[in-house]
Amino acid sequence: MPVALAAAGPGGLRLTAVDAGARALGLRPGEPLGRVRARVGSPLRILPAEPAADAAALERLCLWAQRYTPRVAPFGPGEDAFGLHLDVTGACHLHGGEAGLLDDLERRLAAGGIPARLALADTPGAAYALARFGAAARSHVPPGGTAAALAELPVAALRCDAATVIALKRLGLKRIGALARAPRAPLARRFGAALMMRLDQALGLRPEPLAPIPETARYGAARSFLDPVSRQETIVAVARALMGQIAPRLAAHGLGALALRLSLHRVDGAVKALDLGLASPGRCPDRVAGLLRLRLDRLGAALDAGFGFESIRLDVTAADRMPEAQGMLGAGPAEDGIADGTAALAEALGQRLGRPLLRLGGVASHLPERADRILPWRPGTGPAWSPAPLPPRPVLLLARSEPAEEVLALAPEGPPRRFRWRARLHRVAHAEGPERIAAEWWRADGPARDYYAVECEAGRRLWLYRSGPHAAERPAAWFVHGVFA
Amino acid sequence: MEPPDDAIPDRPARETLAHLRARIAPAEAASGPVLPLGAPPLDQRLPGGGLALGAPHEIAPEDVGDEAAALGFLLALLARRLAEGPGEALLVLAPGHPLPYGHGLLALGLDPGRLLFLEAGDDVEVFRALEAALQAGSLPAVAGLVAEGLPLVAGRRLQRAGAGTLLLILRPAGAGRPNGAATRWRIAAAPAARDGAANPRPRWRARLERCRNGRTGDWLMEWDGGAHRFDLPHGLAGRAPAAGGTPA
Repeated sequence: MPVALAAAGPGGLRLTAVDAGARALGLRPGEPLGRVRARVGSPLRILPAEPAADAAALERLCLWAQRYTPRVAPFGPGEDAFGLHLDVTGACHLHGGEAGLLDDLERRLAAGGIPARLALADTPGAAYALARFGAAARSHVPPGGTAAALAELPVAALRCDAATVIALKRLGLKRIGALARAPRAPLARRFGAALMMRLDQALGLRPEPLAPIPETARYGAARSFLDPVSRQETIVAVARALMGQIAPRLAAHGLGALALRLSLHRVDGAVKALDLGLASPGRCPDRVAGLLRLRLDRLGAALDAGFGFESIRLDVTAADRMPEAQGMLGAGPAEDGIADGTAALAEALGQRLGRPLLRLGGVASHLPERADRILPWRPGTGPAWSPAPLPPRPVLLLARSEPAEEVLALAPEGPPRRFRWRARLHRVAHAEGPERIAAEWWRADGPARDYYAVECEAGRRLWLYRSGPHAAERPAAWFVHGVFA
Repeated sequence: MEPPDDAIPDRPARETLAHLRARIAPAEAASGPVLPLGAPPLDQRLPGGGLALGAPHEIAPEDVGDEAAALGFLLALLARRLAEGPGEALLVLAPGHPLPYGHGLLALGLDPGRLLFLEAGDDVEVFRALEAALQAGSLPAVAGLVAEGLPLVAGRRLQRAGAGTLLLILRPAGAGRPNGAATRWRIAAAPAARDGAANPRPRWRARLERCRNGRTGDWLMEWDGGAHRFDLPHGLAGRAPAAGGTPA
């Protein structure tokens, strides 16, 4: 039996949604129920619409769709349909490419009894337009084909309001292609910036941020209060208790939290979110409490409690496998994954100063400025370094090599005898070199450099290089590149 | 005959003084762990035979232009401390102090893989980070490269937080101020030692400007990165202090 949903609308009950059977009977959403009854008769089941249940079902579908990508957003305002956006950037290859992902999605939705129209395009606007107004139930727009795919769709597909659609029709602009070709300035003046924005978003000329559902629904806990709380110690104590609720669930799955978000809901409706990062997976309530205390110390008065917080929620935003570790004999399993003091320190510094701990890593490159790089600290031993190169390198490498001027050298290819650098004249007492250093053959940038380690009369030692050989009419330039200890 | 007026209050005062002396004696005599520098004439001047661990030691360039030499001296001390055992050293850098070059650290005998760096926003953050590192107590050495110098209060806080950790502060040449540093070094560049070896060994003219419970001095120091040891080159070792030193 065909099914339709009805809810109170202007002038009494009206249909809000119809299934395929009802559509076949010629029914459309928005029709008054009385007229429907008169026209169709009995073989139709009318159920009351439940918008709240619809929203909950859409949220469940969004959570399910996170199997494809972490960024899933339900349709927003202006998108008058029941659906969701999946940002599959960088996720398609896991499902055999874009077509494979669409196949899989189609099959699983059908197996779940969910009729769906799928569209995959460069922009959310284009995907929406094709899914809602496209001819086929499934469309797949190749990269760069957005404008062509949208050209024949009605302007209503642009997610603009009904009045704009009617006015555009009156102007003869019925298709998106015609609208895109029309002069922009009069249209913008006539319809405001919103229409142009929707057009640009669909065509990918303007970014459209999605509002994905948070990925935090799996491990979280919340507590509400009769009287609002605002004291720091209370917040820390509540967070510790919440982590105590989450920890067994994490432990059951062999996971530890890597990042946590504490949401403080203020009485006036504002939400303060604090993100806590852990250096290694952990689930110990005391560790979380300690981190939060450091974080709140740093915030100080910036944590504007106003009239207090009426509820506090703690969510695990990132988790990782956390192997069970045997603690001290008789003490039961070790509660936490902090292996060494450095991890604890990295975590404490991250919370107290908000700055990451860094390391230096070696890179196999001849060019000195490419031969080391700054890495974020990670648990475990540091990067391995090969033995010191010969001749030795300076302890400070200038961020950019600085020109040395007024260079006087006895021999054209020899070391400098004196030069001016940073407004000071340096007389060279001793020089070692040259050491010729050229970029790798696959990078053809700049001539080879002849490096000299020179010692000035005061004993200060600098690392200079001559950039390439001297030309006949123009002497080669000299640069200071480093300072020895 | 009556005793002099001052005799009556004198006695309790002397007793009190003796009592107080007895109370602080353990604290003064307790020379905790130290880091010997490896050159006996140097270590003899330092209380306990080396740089006391847990107390701040201040290093400053002698003059503008000697910054790299002072940094090298600091890194040499870190290398010597790290050579004693496992663990990592933390360098906290205020703006204006660039990260050292990894291959240059290798040339000084310091493994860059055992160094941790933190780029702080200002001196206050440097001291907070140092304090956190000292309280964690897991690192054998920490160093702060500051833009303004070590204030008295920060020095005291660091002194209280640190135990068993080598704590070095590198400041610019012109930012001296009274503080709680256990020693204060002034470092100037000096011509490197070249005795046929492949690598010239760096030398610094080091002036121990202040040394709590020890004696000041002035040396030409040579760093042997392979052995992680300071040497005093022949003929120059144990020179009479140039300024501020107390004769032996």
